[in-house]
Amino acid sequence: MKPRDTLGQKLAGYGISRRALLKFAAAAATSLALPPGVAPAIAESLSGARRQSLIWLSFQDCTGCLESLTRSDAPGIERLIFDFISLDYQETLMAAAGAAADETLVRAARDNHGKYLLAIDGSVPTAEGGVHSMVGGRTNMDMLAELAEGAAAVLAIGTCAAYGGIPKAAPNPTSAVGIADLVKEKPIVNIPGCPPIPEVLTGVLVNFLTFGRLPDLDDLGRPLAYFGTTIHDQCYRRPYYDQGKFAHSFDDEGARQGWCLFELGCKGPTTRNACASLKWNGGTSFPIQSGHGCLGCSEPDFWDKGSFYTSLSGGEGPPWDAVGGAAAVGLGIGGAAAFAARRSRAAVDRQLAKEWQRDHGATATSKTEEDGP
Amino acid sequence: MSGMPPSLAPAAKPGAKPATRRVAESRDQADRARLDAAMRGFISDFGPEAAVYMEACLHCGQCAEACQFYVETGDPKYTPIWKIEPFKQAYSREMGPFAPFFRAFGLTPKVTLGELEGWQELLYDSCNMCGRCSLVCPAGIDIADLVEKARHGMFEAGLVPGDYLGALAGKEQETGNPFGISREDVRRALLEIGRSHGVEMHVDEPRAAVVPTVSSIDLKMYPASIAATARVLNHVGASWSFRTDGFDADNVSLTAGDRTGQRLVTEAIVDAATRCGAEVLIMPECGHSYTEMRWEAANTVGHALPFRVLHMSEYLAECLDAGRLKLRPVTPDPEGRGVTFHDPCQLSRRSGRSDAPRKVMAALGLDLHELADHGADSWCCGGGGGVALINRARPLRDKAFAIKRRQVADTGAGTVIVSCTGCRQTFEHGFKDAGGETGVGSLLDLVAGQLEEDGKTP
Amino acid sequence: MTLLDFARGPALYWSTLIMVCGLVWRLAGVALLPFRPDRSAAGPQSRGRVRGALGTIVSRSLPRRTFLARTFATVVVGYAMHLGLLIILLGGAPHILLVAQATGLSWPSLPKGVVALASAVTLVTLVFVLVRRCTHPVLRLLSNFDDFLSIVLTLVPVATGILLAEETVLPYRTLLTWHILSVEAMMIWLPFGKLSHVVFVFAGRAVSGAKLGKRGATT
Repeated sequence: MKPRDTLGQKLAGYGISRRALLKFAAAAATSLALPPGVAPAIAESLSGARRQSLIWLSFQDCTGCLESLTRSDAPGIERLIFDFISLDYQETLMAAAGAAADETLVRAARDNHGKYLLAIDGSVPTAEGGVHSMVGGRTNMDMLAELAEGAAAVLAIGTCAAYGGIPKAAPNPTSAVGIADLVKEKPIVNIPGCPPIPEVLTGVLVNFLTFGRLPDLDDLGRPLAYFGTTIHDQCYRRPYYDQGKFAHSFDDEGARQGWCLFELGCKGPTTRNACASLKWNGGTSFPIQSGHGCLGCSEPDFWDKGSFYTSLSGGEGPPWDAVGGAAAVGLGIGGAAAFAARRSRAAVDRQLAKEWQRDHGATATSKTEEDGP
Repeated sequence: MSGMPPSLAPAAKPGAKPATRRVAESRDQADRARLDAAMRGFISDFGPEAAVYMEACLHCGQCAEACQFYVETGDPKYTPIWKIEPFKQAYSREMGPFAPFFRAFGLTPKVTLGELEGWQELLYDSCNMCGRCSLVCPAGIDIADLVEKARHGMFEAGLVPGDYLGALAGKEQETGNPFGISREDVRRALLEIGRSHGVEMHVDEPRAAVVPTVSSIDLKMYPASIAATARVLNHVGASWSFRTDGFDADNVSLTAGDRTGQRLVTEAIVDAATRCGAEVLIMPECGHSYTEMRWEAANTVGHALPFRVLHMSEYLAECLDAGRLKLRPVTPDPEGRGVTFHDPCQLSRRSGRSDAPRKVMAALGLDLHELADHGADSWCCGGGGGVALINRARPLRDKAFAIKRRQVADTGAGTVIVSCTGCRQTFEHGFKDAGGETGVGSLLDLVAGQLEEDGKTP
Repeated sequence: MTLLDFARGPALYWSTLIMVCGLVWRLAGVALLPFRPDRSAAGPQSRGRVRGALGTIVSRSLPRRTFLARTFATVVVGYAMHLGLLIILLGGAPHILLVAQATGLSWPSLPKGVVALASAVTLVTLVFVLVRRCTHPVLRLLSNFDDFLSIVLTLVPVATGILLAEETVLPYRTLLTWHILSVEAMMIWLPFGKLSHVVFVFAGRAVSGAKLGKRGATT
C-alpha cells in the first residue's frame, strides 16, 4: 500500500498556494450551494484529506464521459483534485493491461474494501445473461455486483450509467439498464449528462472528501446543488420566453436576435442540469448560447421523447383517427343508451295504456257522442 | 288499442260513460307502485328537448331570483329547479345517457314516497308555471315545462292535492268543465246571461266562423264578461256561436297533471270548433288554456288545427286593425291616476303577444302606466298554473302577490287592467286580503263598454 | 417514464379521447331520443325555429335588466370567471403554442401581465364561487358532489398555471406536471359532470330558443 500524502502536500508540490486552495474551496462551496463561511473548513479538510481510492469501470459506453471529464483546457485546481484521488483502476487510462490490469483491480478492491468509491460510466446490458458487454471474460453485471458490494458508494457517471441512456433507447436490444436498477444496497449518486459536466463530478468528490458523505440528492438520485433547477429557469434567454418572443426557425430574425428556442424544440423547461450556469469548456458557452435548443440529454429516456425539434407543449399533432374513433364509440354508447331509454319509455307507454284500458274499457274505442245539435 | 299510450289513444268524449277517477284509485296503490308510477309519468313523454334541459342545469340558482315564491319568502326550497329535483334524479337513473351507471353504482338515491309527498307543495302550491325562471336560465332550461311533466308524475302517483285540484280534474273528465255543470245547464246559463244583459246570444249553432270559449269561473263569478264576449262579437259582425260541447277552456286537468283529462278537454274543444267549421277559436282571458290550445293542441290531436287559435286580446287587436272594431275613448278618471296593465304570463312571456292588449288599450285612449316589470318580464300574479284553485295555498299566494302589489302601487295607477280570468281573481283576492283599494278591471269588459255602436249607445 | 412524460403522452392522449367519447355519448344519448314534431301554427311575430335557437344562444349570455338587480353577483362573477378563462386559454403564449403545434393555427398572444391579471381574477372568482356555494342557501340546497368537484377541477389548473407562470414555490417541472395532469383530470371529468355545460348550455338555449322563437316570444 502506497504512503498516503495529503492533498495539501500534493498541491504545494505543484506550486499552488494555500490561498489558491481557499479560493477553490469558496468556489466549490458556492457550486455546492453551501454558505460561504464553509469555504475555510472545506479548504482545511481538503488539504488534510488523504487519497481516496477510486475504482472506475467502463461498461456499455462510448467513452464520451471520460473524454469530457479528462478533457483539459487549462489545468486548474479541480483538475488536480483528480490527482488526489487514487484512481486505482481505469481500463482506458491505466498503463497496465491484460492480466496485470485484472490483478490491479483485485488488489485495489481488496485493499480498500468498504472504503473505495466505485465510479461507472456506461449502462449495463442484461439480455442473455449480460454477454453483450464483457471485460476479461466477465460480464459487466458480474463485475458490478462484485465491486459494488465492497464500495462505500457508487457514482453513476453519464446518462447511460444513471438511467440507461442511449443503449437503453427503444428497442433496447441489449436490455440495457442504469446502475440504480441493479445496485440496491449502496448509496448511488447519479451524475447524468451526455456527457456530464466535469465540475459536477469534482463537486461531488469535494463534498465526499470534505464531509465524508454524499451530497443531497433529488428524486432521480442527482445532486440537488447542480440539478435543483431547470436549464429554462437559469437560461439567459428566459426573458424572451416570458415576453413571448420566439425563434421559429434556425435562420429567422428571432434566431438572429437570440430569442427563446422553445418553439424549435428546446427541452430546457424540463431538463435539470447546470449547463446554463456552469457552462462548458471552461465556462465558455453552452448549447443554447450557441443557438441550439437543449436536447435534455441529462434526463431519463431523453432519446425516446420524440424529436429534438418538436416543442414541448406540442406533440405530433392531435391523433385525429383516434379522436374520430372515440367520437364513434361515444355515438355508439350514446345511441345504445338512447335506444334503451326509448325501449323503457315504450314499456311505460304500454303499461299506461293497459291501465288506461282497464279504467276506461270499451268506451275508449267507440264514439258515443254524436255531432252537436 | 293496446300498446297505445292513453295520451295517443282515441279519447272518450265528455258526457260518455263516467271515467274512473285515477286520483282516488291511486290512493290505494302500494307505495312502491305509486313511486314507479310517478317516475314513469314523468319520463314517458320525454323527448330530446326535455332531456337536454335535464342535462343542462348548472345549479347556478338564478331561477330562484326570478321566482315570486322564493323572492317573497326567501325560502330556498322554492328554487324553481329544486321543485323537480326528485324527477331529475329519476331521469338520471332511468333515462339519461349515463343511466346504467347511475343504476349500477346507486349514484342517485331512490326517492321515497314520503319525499315525493313533500314535493307536492313545491310542485302545486308554489309554482305557477309562469316561465319567469325559464327566461332567466342561462342554460335555457324551460323549467315551467319540466314542472308540467313532473305534475304528470305526481298525478300518476296519486299525489295531486286531491281535496281540490284532483277533484276538479275528475269532474272535468266527466263533464268538460271542472265544476261538473252539465251541457244543458251551461246552455241555460248562457241564454240567461244573454237575457239579463240584453245581448243577443248564440249557443250551439251548427255553423259559426268564430267560436269563443270561456272559463267556467266566468259563468259563476263574472257573467258580465260572457255578456261582453257576446256583445263584442255581435259588434264586429262575426258569425259566431258558443258551443256547449266545447265550451270550457279551463283545462284544470292540465294543471293537475292528468294527461288523459287534458287530452279529453282539448279534443272536445277542437272537435266542437271543427264540426261547426270555425275559422277562429277564441280563448278566453285565461292563461294556461291559451298556451295549451295555441301551441300544444295540434300535437295532442296529431294534426294541424283547421282553425286559428287566438287569445281574446289578440282577436280584439285584429278587429281593430281590420277596422271592424270601433271604440270610443274612455273618459279619464277624475283623479287622473291612470291605469296599469298586468300581462298574463302565458300570453306575454310564453307566447310573445304583449303587443295585442296594448294595442287595444291604446285604442281605448287609456292613460297606461307600465309596471316596473312588464311584457315578457312581468311577475306572475301568483295564481296561475292552478295555484288559485288550492285553498291551503292562499297565504303563500298572498305573500307572492306582494311583489305585484308593490309594483302596482309604484305606478300610482288607480286600476289594474287584467286580461285573464285567473289573474283577475287573484288580483281581487290579493287586494282584498291586503286591504288595498286598487280597482281591478277586465280588458274585455272595458272594450264591451266602449263600443261605438253606429250612433246607438250600448 | 417520468410523471411529466406520462402527463404529456398517454395521459393527454387518453384524456382527450375520453372527453370526446363522453361528450358524444352524452349528446347522442339525448339527441337520439324520439323526437316529436311540432304541428302548431307559428306565431304572427315568429322568428322561426333556427333563428330563435341561434338568437337565444347569444341572447342568454346577456343578462336581462329585469333580473339583474337580484342576480348581479352571479352575473358579474360568471362573466369575470369565464372571460378570465377565455383570456388565459386564448391569450396565454404557451396555450397558443399548444394549439399551433396541434393544428397549425396561431395568433398573437396577449402580454404576460394581462394573462396574469386574468388568471388572478379567475382564481379569485373561482374561490368566491366555491365559498358562495357553501354559504348561499339556494346554492347549498342545489349543490351536490358534482358541483364541487367541477369547481375544484377548474380551480386547480388555474392555480397550478399561475404558479407555473410565476415560477414560485415549486420547480417548474413539478408544476408543469401537475398543471398538465390537472387539466387532464378536468378533461376526463368534463363530459360526465357539470362541466359538460360547455356544450349543454348552448344545447339548452337552442332547444328553448327554437320553441320560443317559433312562437315569437321573448327569448
